[in-house]
Amino acid sequence: MRSFSLIDFVSLFAALRWTVALVALALAFGAPLALGLALGRISRFAGLRWAMAACIQVIQSVPLLGLLFFFYFGMPVFLGIQVPALIAVTVAYTLYTAAFLGEIWRGGLEAVKQAQWEAGACLGLSAWQQFRHIIAPQALRLSLPPTVGFLVQLIKGTSLASILGFVELARAGQVVSAATFQPLLTYALVAAIYFALCLPLTLWSRSLEARLDGSR
Amino acid sequence: MALVEIRDVHKTFGKVEVLKGVSLDVQEGEIVTIIGRSGSGKSTLLRCINALESVDAGEIRVEGLKVHARMPDLKKFRQRVGIVFQAFNLFPHLKVERNITLAPLLTGRIDKAKARALAADVLTRVGLADKIDAWPEQLSGGQQQRVAIARCLAMAPHLMLFDEVTSALDPELVGEVLKVMEAMAKQGMTMILVTHEMGFARNVANRIVFMHQGRVWEQGPPAKLFANPETPELASFIASAK
Repeated sequence: MRSFSLIDFVSLFAALRWTVALVALALAFGAPLALGLALGRISRFAGLRWAMAACIQVIQSVPLLGLLFFFYFGMPVFLGIQVPALIAVTVAYTLYTAAFLGEIWRGGLEAVKQAQWEAGACLGLSAWQQFRHIIAPQALRLSLPPTVGFLVQLIKGTSLASILGFVELARAGQVVSAATFQPLLTYALVAAIYFALCLPLTLWSRSLEARLDGSR
Repeated sequence: MALVEIRDVHKTFGKVEVLKGVSLDVQEGEIVTIIGRSGSGKSTLLRCINALESVDAGEIRVEGLKVHARMPDLKKFRQRVGIVFQAFNLFPHLKVERNITLAPLLTGRIDKAKARALAADVLTRVGLADKIDAWPEQLSGGQQQRVAIARCLAMAPHLMLFDEVTSALDPELVGEVLKVMEAMAKQGMTMILVTHEMGFARNVANRIVFMHQGRVWEQGPPAKLFANPETPELASFIASAK
């Protein structure tokens, strides 16, 4: 046993890089997929709507831990392919992000009145122009608070990657705690770091919300 | 050739046949007012004219072009046929200027340098030149509706459709919108209006079309129609609207 030192402090911060990397990967791949799912969910083709809803339902129903296990341990068993851990977690977090963000954004898109699409169409705009210039900006403002709420969830959800061997913030906390026998101090620090990561996001979301709604 | 030719148009929503063989011609420069009870098919007919609804049978031609939701140059067609709605439908996230210039810019009708001048010009025509930098929600209902009209005018349409544009307004705000429409009528714009404003119909329209049960029941010049309705349905409608 040794006392809590600067090294432990540094190692907690060093582990943050995996937390940030996992979030970045999940968003980089998950956000475009989420947009596709959201658009599919409001499509006029019933088959597409149904297929997207089914995908989202399945992913949302499985615990994140289950997704991680499936892609890391399950793929070799079911498909006979050994997947590197980084790919497995990226795929799991991507799908998780896509399913939840997709539904949030779908809600935002549907909250914009149908008459807004119609008004754009009547002015001779294409469907893409209506979406890009009329619907998406309004939907974005409506979706912002739940989107940031999900982002905070995602940041905390990266702690589950520790079971596949990623030494991210939560796992680093375990290691330091075991080495120093100071769980209270260590986990309080870990919690403070998570808080410091999430707080600016919430503040940023509030200011962005105000900026997007210039009329008020 | 009439600017708008409507031939035996039928339209059904679910099991309800809303239009049961409507035929109507509108000449260039004419102001036609469609009146009738709720559910008589007035608004549906208007929405069919710019392909917001497609007809089940019969045909509609505007400037000789057959109108339907899958027509090849639908976007170009809609730039020539403006429609103003009961609920204004301004874009709440854009200032008045951008509400007006968005479509002319995106469709390549004007370039950026001329955008503000165009917005100022059409706003002057509806008496709102000083509101160019306002947000829609800072305007009264009547002002919002006038911006919606200005937004249509910015596309230089050949035909304007008005779907109960004063129905959602407080009574004291109706006049300012009707005044703008009257000015447009004097400038020779072809207009088809669905309205409950009998005074406006009587004073400004060239022709009144009374729709009843999905059909054109009676039509003619306002003076004749209001003074001597030929059908008991129109007589009772006029009596109830007084």
